[in-house]
Amino acid sequence: METIKVDIAIVGGGGAGLRAAIAAAEADASQTIALISKVYPMRSHTVAAEGGSAAVTQAHDNLDHHFHDTVAGGDWLCEQDVVEYFVAHAREEMVQLEHWGCPWSRKDNGHVNVRAFGGMKIERTWFAADKTGFHILHTLFQTSMKYPSIRRFDEHFCCDLIVENGRCHGAVVIEVATGKFTFIQARAVIIATGGAGRVFRENTNGGIVTGDGMALAYRHGVPLRDMEFVQYHPTCMPGTGLLFTEACRGEGGFLLNRDGYRYLQDYGLGPPDPSPRNKAMELGPRDRLSQAFWHEKQKGKTIDGPHGQVVHLDLRHLGEKKLHERLPQICELAEEFLGVDPAHAPIPVCPAVHYTMGGIMANGETASPLAGLYSAGECSSVGLHGANRLGSNSLAELCVFGKVAGSEASKFARSVTSHHSGTLEKQAEDVKQQALGIITRSGGTERMAILRTEMAQSMEDGCGIYRTGTAMQATCDKIDELRERYRNLNIDDRSSTWNTEWLLAIELGYQLDVAQSMVYSAINRKESRGSHQRLDGYEQRDDVNYLRHTLAHYNGDAAPRIDYMGVRITKSRPGIRAYGAAGEKAEQERKNREAASD
Amino acid sequence: MSKRRPYVRPMDGWWLKNPYYVRYMSREATSLFVGVYALILLAGMVSLACGETAYNNWLMAMTNPVSIGFHLAALAAAIYHTITWFAVAPKVMPALFLAGKRVPDIAITTTQYAIAVVLYLGLFCMVWRV
Amino acid sequence: MTDIEKTIEIEVMRYHPEQDASPVFKTYRIPYASDQSVLQGLQYIKDYIDGTLSFRWSCRMAICGSCGVMINNQPKLSCKTFLRDYYPGKIRVEALQHLPIERDLVIDATDFINKLESIKPYIVPREARSLEQGEYLQTPEQLARYEQFSSCINCMLCYAACPQYGLKPEFTGPGVLALLHRYNADSRDGARADRMQIVNAEEGVWGCTLVGYCSEVCPKQVDPAAAVNRNKVNSTLDYFLRFLMPGGGESG
Repeated sequence: METIKVDIAIVGGGGAGLRAAIAAAEADASQTIALISKVYPMRSHTVAAEGGSAAVTQAHDNLDHHFHDTVAGGDWLCEQDVVEYFVAHAREEMVQLEHWGCPWSRKDNGHVNVRAFGGMKIERTWFAADKTGFHILHTLFQTSMKYPSIRRFDEHFCCDLIVENGRCHGAVVIEVATGKFTFIQARAVIIATGGAGRVFRENTNGGIVTGDGMALAYRHGVPLRDMEFVQYHPTCMPGTGLLFTEACRGEGGFLLNRDGYRYLQDYGLGPPDPSPRNKAMELGPRDRLSQAFWHEKQKGKTIDGPHGQVVHLDLRHLGEKKLHERLPQICELAEEFLGVDPAHAPIPVCPAVHYTMGGIMANGETASPLAGLYSAGECSSVGLHGANRLGSNSLAELCVFGKVAGSEASKFARSVTSHHSGTLEKQAEDVKQQALGIITRSGGTERMAILRTEMAQSMEDGCGIYRTGTAMQATCDKIDELRERYRNLNIDDRSSTWNTEWLLAIELGYQLDVAQSMVYSAINRKESRGSHQRLDGYEQRDDVNYLRHTLAHYNGDAAPRIDYMGVRITKSRPGIRAYGAAGEKAEQERKNREAASD
Repeated sequence: MSKRRPYVRPMDGWWLKNPYYVRYMSREATSLFVGVYALILLAGMVSLACGETAYNNWLMAMTNPVSIGFHLAALAAAIYHTITWFAVAPKVMPALFLAGKRVPDIAITTTQYAIAVVLYLGLFCMVWRV
Repeated sequence: MTDIEKTIEIEVMRYHPEQDASPVFKTYRIPYASDQSVLQGLQYIKDYIDGTLSFRWSCRMAICGSCGVMINNQPKLSCKTFLRDYYPGKIRVEALQHLPIERDLVIDATDFINKLESIKPYIVPREARSLEQGEYLQTPEQLARYEQFSSCINCMLCYAACPQYGLKPEFTGPGVLALLHRYNADSRDGARADRMQIVNAEEGVWGCTLVGYCSEVCPKQVDPAAAVNRNKVNSTLDYFLRFLMPGGGESG
């Protein structure tokens, strides 16, 4: 097997991976950087982000507001020092993207425009129409071509990390076109492989979002943190789960039940003003909106559709001109996929899994407990999102922490010597044999699609918008069973050129491990917080016992070991999480208290 | 050892495989008619310079049914060429902006037709002295 | 008959470099539903009939650019082409035309990527600006001058539509030239003179004969034909300006 030595290996070529690569290249042009992506980088799922990216911009906004929105939005499970760093650096990252050519939407005076987003007190979401992720990704991808020290390994699939003596030494990759294995030996490794939403049935994610990097770090002893927190986005396409951006509501869209009633006012989000009011009604946070849908469904107030129950996302009052200017992709999706013209008819929508708040445990510098291993973006749990992410914080996150990861990894790579022992190559050879085992062994009887479907259905049943101990236990048992059956997988394709079935099988292994960490983390959290809501006697938030991060530790064939770590609180004590008029009242009380204590 | 062996498909008869390409080739073929027509016209000019007899002979030749048939075909070809040209003109000219908005392609194409109609009407008026 | 009982036939190009000398077609019968995409049809085949079928896909919503194929001889994104548009007829799916086939529906994209890398697809600032100075100002009109061309999702349908690229693969091609124009038309950029050398070359805009099919098949209304042909004008002006001003001119 060929060994290629580099200073920094980055696994994942989406927004975070590209930003990290550029940061590393700018930190030290003499270092070599391998950017490994299982698809061409511009196919990465950052491409599908629509609404925008948050950064304090307007004169009447400030970092404290963004901080409080994020921490309360995350139900106080955020690492507050990380949030402080994030809000302070988001704007310069957005400006940096602008300098690199990102076509941000503009105001008439030529300055960048911002829009309202859910859970955000003041409009601060930078946007490029409704294709923000697409434009950020292509801007970063094309800009990365400027740096000769970045060597891309496009369509190279990472099948394992190489770890020795408590340090990560690189990754083994498979060239998809040929099946050729290469050991990319690196002094530092950054994982930026995105989320794992595909472990659920109905989701907004692309087929590649299979938690690869999470599983790889996890298998090497790095804990996955807060994996029970999985975000349901409230406005998705029934059947496929495709996303209708929150910007639809930021621009003034309504959510209506079967009676044409803006039902969110019944869930503590009112009053129902006719025009968008920040942090109220349709501009509440995603967890609350998805939960409200669930309740409406229980009450029989939702609408029957060919793919289950839906509510209506009504954009008609925005007018054709504004829709085509601000939400062109939404119009295209609704018209081409559903045959609905949003200017003349409401769009049927339902919640679908969108984002994994948890991920690879990382400190504020993106370093994992394993020396030489860093992570950034959705795969990482740097501690920004807590129990629920606010829309438009993740695009900003991948820039802010992608950059941190790149410069930290660069620093680490400079500080350590290269490893010369042949044991790494030996390990890499073992990894190769194990990966090849999937296509060389015979006698398997399990069909991959069946296992995948059962996993996704079970995760939806057990780890959906509302959860119960019984349902989660059933999912724990199911995932345990599927991991067992996975060993008996049958693969039709035994070739080496573009064998996608083989790679899908490896991905399924990643997915099952990640799914297991999610459901075991969930069943052990005996409270309700953010996106983790229980109906079996644990309906309240329990700060005494669970103001803590969950850590899931890989445990081989057995179930993961679960333990906990504290949450760093700097300036926001856990308080009442309220939106709408109630939220404004709660905020006023908080301010009064703070003023009184000063 | 890589077993990769990218397969490149032949291009034989490519333009017959898609109606769009057939239309494209027809558009290109119209240039033959226009070219021949230009040569015939040039011959007329030359014969005019050579004197009355030569010119009358040329005029005579033009009344030949083959010649009339060719001219009708050339007219059809020129009209087809014009239509295709009007359709692609917005792609060839620099982007036009009015009051900060790009002028849509359809507006440009429509304007060309409008100008053509005005010019032809003017031409008819001149020729037939209406 | 309800949708549940209906089926539709998909004829798929298969090419396995380890076994086949040239591509062959194989027909599969799959369940029909009016809201199913051709991509979902291919996924059904892979999941339940033949796991060896290889094709690229990811986002399912026409933005990642992975899933371009020929559907009944037209370049299309399989995720936003629906079975209902062909039912009850047969659907024929092939790898993108004019591009080398790696396997089944997977084409070799390296030529496109290499060309993209060659055009300086990034802003070379016209005037330096620090992050502290904030963003460059750009009016909505200045944005509109290039925004359309920045919407290219690199799906390569335009390459499959371009016979000139099929005949002469050195041609830079519609998508990459549109992206080149995207940067040249950006008010923040100052590298136009460098990129014009690529535009002016034989393989640049002059490789185009204005077939126009590229713009027809573009799933994002980028209109690459416009980008290429406007640059023929620019290229001509550039030529004469350089002729007139030996120091090198920059045309508007």
